[in-house]
Amino acid sequence: MTRLRETLNDIADEAPLVNLADVAIAGYRRRRRLTTGAAALGTALVLAAATVATTVPWQHQQPAASQDAATVPDLPAGKVGPLSHAYQTRCEVTTQRSLNCDDVEWRVVTAAGATYRVPQALAMTTKEWRVPVSISRDGRMLAYYSRQAQAHVIRDLMTGTEVTSPVPITEDRIGAGSMLVVSDDGRYVVFDPREGSKDPGTLIDVRTGRTVSLNGKYEVVSAKGGVVELVRYVKTDLWLMPVTGGGKPVRFKGPYIMFNEVSPDGRTVIAVHWDRRNRDLKTGTVTVLDVKSGRVVRTLPIRGLPKDNKYTALLSTGPWTSGHEFTVVYATKERVATYAVDADTGQARQLTGYQRAFGELVLPGVGEPVS
Amino acid sequence: MDRHDGFREFVLARQQALMRTAYLLTGDAHLAEDLLQSVLMNVVRQWHKLSKDGNPEAYTRKALVNQYISWKRRPRPEVPSSDPPERCVSHDDATLDRIVLRQALDRLTPKQRAVIVLRFREDLSEAQTAELLGCSVGTVKSQTHHALARLRAVAPELAHLLSEREIVEVAR
Repeated sequence: MTRLRETLNDIADEAPLVNLADVAIAGYRRRRRLTTGAAALGTALVLAAATVATTVPWQHQQPAASQDAATVPDLPAGKVGPLSHAYQTRCEVTTQRSLNCDDVEWRVVTAAGATYRVPQALAMTTKEWRVPVSISRDGRMLAYYSRQAQAHVIRDLMTGTEVTSPVPITEDRIGAGSMLVVSDDGRYVVFDPREGSKDPGTLIDVRTGRTVSLNGKYEVVSAKGGVVELVRYVKTDLWLMPVTGGGKPVRFKGPYIMFNEVSPDGRTVIAVHWDRRNRDLKTGTVTVLDVKSGRVVRTLPIRGLPKDNKYTALLSTGPWTSGHEFTVVYATKERVATYAVDADTGQARQLTGYQRAFGELVLPGVGEPVS
Repeated sequence: MDRHDGFREFVLARQQALMRTAYLLTGDAHLAEDLLQSVLMNVVRQWHKLSKDGNPEAYTRKALVNQYISWKRRPRPEVPSSDPPERCVSHDDATLDRIVLRQALDRLTPKQRAVIVLRFREDLSEAQTAELLGCSVGTVKSQTHHALARLRAVAPELAHLLSEREIVEVAR
């Protein structure tokens, strides 16, 4: 076999496993029903419209009720569309000036603006550690931990299907700063039980149940294209590990934090240089790093970010929106916003803004929650 | 006994092979699934004819390629997305080849991409490819030539995959 065919086969091997027989039959039946019923339905609609027009005056559509705790509906089964973000509600401060976190829950907000509660997603462990959720880069997949299943569940928001990971994870494994990352196709979840510890993480293939143990010294940044991006802070090492394991880390000179996913051309990654005074975080300066040689490609001060007061700071870097633009999450005193930043000029343009009313805010493709 | 049992058996046996082709054509897992599902909905409609005197797999494969080309011809409004193409790097050469080839395939026209997949992965002859695409053998030859030239131009680092010797061996 030649190398061209081998490579094409390798790409084909990434095709997801599917079971389409019943879906196709259901689609065929639905289409047939629609075709045969269309004429009758059309007639009925015309009659109904005529009746309404003659019997009731036109009414404006009622504005949607504000979605406070009492009125937020549960995430329905079926298609809801891609997510814009997820957030955790805040703990309440009791009259005795202590925190009550009993009612903390995860909520998701769709790109269309609808908010839903996700009661099946565990928000706090019995030891009161926050439990993470993850949204894929395109907002289609939501991964969360289910106490009932004692495992992670991946919900496809476009089809409504849910897959429960066949790998059980006991609740007591979830510790301080636990992290979760889901791949775009929902096939892989990476679970890090305790941020900043040497407790090893686990890469789970939810279709086959196969797991790969991850070196506990590394933290996960992203999982895409069959490669998991892991970072070891302080040293600083970046490891692009194929989902089957293997690969070697590359070392950067100096401490860097807030890595984003590797650029679409596979050559660079964005990170923030760390020093004790957090100068780059405060000034909104990122560094473009070469993932093969470990060298600094350039330092990039971001232009066009609001600098209204001393509370402004970079909170995170995020996915690439194109071959030359990456995202950052930036906070002022009142708002958190995502910006697309030109990787050559540093010019930023705002994408989405969020009120700072959340306990934890989870954005698509951003490994760590921002708060 | 359901009248769709035969179709179910066919899909169970062949869906993964068809899915691999759909994935190579589209380069996107979600699109590939949508493409195959849409084609299978047509196949189930024709199933009674195909199961009697047809070749369901050949029909499905042909429909898959034609549907893909038809989808790509449709004008699509630009949708802002935080979903850049699935590309990444690894220090493993085979992984690197895979990533670069996938990027390069994205730069081909739908027909050129289909020709590359059918000739060099599905192992179809020029005549079989022409029949499947509904064009002449000459067109297949010219599309193959243009596709390979384009791949060499956009991904010179794949020279070892696309050398004349390799191509002749694959096409043999």
